[in-house]
Amino acid sequence: MRKVTTKIFAILALFMVSLSYAQAKKPTIMVVPSDLWCNQNGFMTTYDNQGTTVKIPDYKRAFQENPELIQVISKINGLMAERGFPLKNMESAIKTLESESAENAMLSSKSGAGVAESPIDKLKKVAKADIIMQLTWTLNSTGPKKSVNFTLQGIDSYTDKQIATATGTGSPSFSVVLPVLLEESVLAHIDNFNASLQKHFDDMFENGREIIIRVKKFDSWSGDLEQEYGGKELSSVLEEWMTANTVKGRFSTSDATENMMLFEQVRIPLYDATGKAIDARGFAKSLQDFLKKAPYLIPNKLMMKGLGQAVIVLGEK
Amino acid sequence: MKKQIITILVVLVASVATFAQSGKQKKADAATEAWRYEIECAGVGADGTYLVKVWSYSKKPSIAITQAKKNAVHGIIFKGFSGDGRSCASQKAMANNPNIEAEKGDFFGPFFEEGGKYMKYVTESTDGFVDAGDRLKVGKEYKIGIIVAVSKDALRKDLEAAGIIRGLSSGF
Repeated sequence: MRKVTTKIFAILALFMVSLSYAQAKKPTIMVVPSDLWCNQNGFMTTYDNQGTTVKIPDYKRAFQENPELIQVISKINGLMAERGFPLKNMESAIKTLESESAENAMLSSKSGAGVAESPIDKLKKVAKADIIMQLTWTLNSTGPKKSVNFTLQGIDSYTDKQIATATGTGSPSFSVVLPVLLEESVLAHIDNFNASLQKHFDDMFENGREIIIRVKKFDSWSGDLEQEYGGKELSSVLEEWMTANTVKGRFSTSDATENMMLFEQVRIPLYDATGKAIDARGFAKSLQDFLKKAPYLIPNKLMMKGLGQAVIVLGEK
Repeated sequence: MKKQIITILVVLVASVATFAQSGKQKKADAATEAWRYEIECAGVGADGTYLVKVWSYSKKPSIAITQAKKNAVHGIIFKGFSGDGRSCASQKAMANNPNIEAEKGDFFGPFFEEGGKYMKYVTESTDGFVDAGDRLKVGKEYKIGIIVAVSKDALRKDLEAAGIIRGLSSGF
């Protein structure tokens, strides 16, 4: 009996220790040159989209041809690593994606089967991060004097909100070369950027992580979001579930039709009831399970995008 | 007897001077606590440092000069400083809790006392030479401007380690 009690205490102690060391899921951050910078410096590619010419940034060429871009990103990465927050390096992320694509194309089993890849999987294969540090600089010339306009914007990839910023214009100089002006700009602005980023993290720890949840339906499903369960429409049931499960009931229903719903500014707790760190997928998994159970019995498919976006498609797996 | 009187007089004069000095120092420390100093950006410092110009007040110029170093570190932690809107960017205070100085009094008391740990972060200063334009007489006091380089990366790291401010990766 005594041995059993000791074991129970030991297990409880281990559980408490694991809870106390639970860490929230850390967002990834990556510095990306802005579309404006790419356009101004000629790093764009164009393609014809059903008669409309569309311009998109050619990041790979920018990294290969612009030494200042490498210098600025390297400086920012170094300073962020110094602050204990190493960043994802975009150039390396692009290379990893390319080598992974090549490996997938060549990979086959002994029976000759290839790697399964849906069109959605292909679409998702882009260099991404939870927070994008969008970088822009422009060189101003007034006669022989040169100065740099420098802007760093921290953008949440899922909510599209600007969560941090630092911007300014350096002192005009006759003699200083562009790399030195850029280094000065990074040194002058990075702390202000980090101060606003810190504020965003503090808010996240206090009020929960802000995410987006989309609910859609497959056209093969006979039901829709206006279908009634116990006198309530499915859309109302979903809103009630959101109110009960978000931090302080905070979310907004931005769009709602019979086929889709969009929940924005959804504040989810950083940990679930067992103390495990969760993200949008972990949160939406609970909603998925809720919909599968009686009285709804709706089969559904859950897809996620990073820490902050989840999509539930009703009707099928 | 004459020798004894002279000794007593010398000791008396020395102790009065010391008390007067420590009184002025206490006044300067009180001025720091009451935010009675001005701090502004003085240029882009080397990597990991802030270059600031601190204006301190005291009846004794030497006290204002030494106090400038303390004020520089104090200002960077609690006050932040303004820039010229050009390369000299304004910076926010390291501590974003306005009551942190009082809440963590056990830490900041010894930190800012004479010869305290704050000196570890002052890497350079112009206290050997004060420009004529940076030495002003305001009423009965001197207002003296000193440029100080503060090792802000080391300061931030130590404050994070002591649990005074949160690091960017705290909680993750």
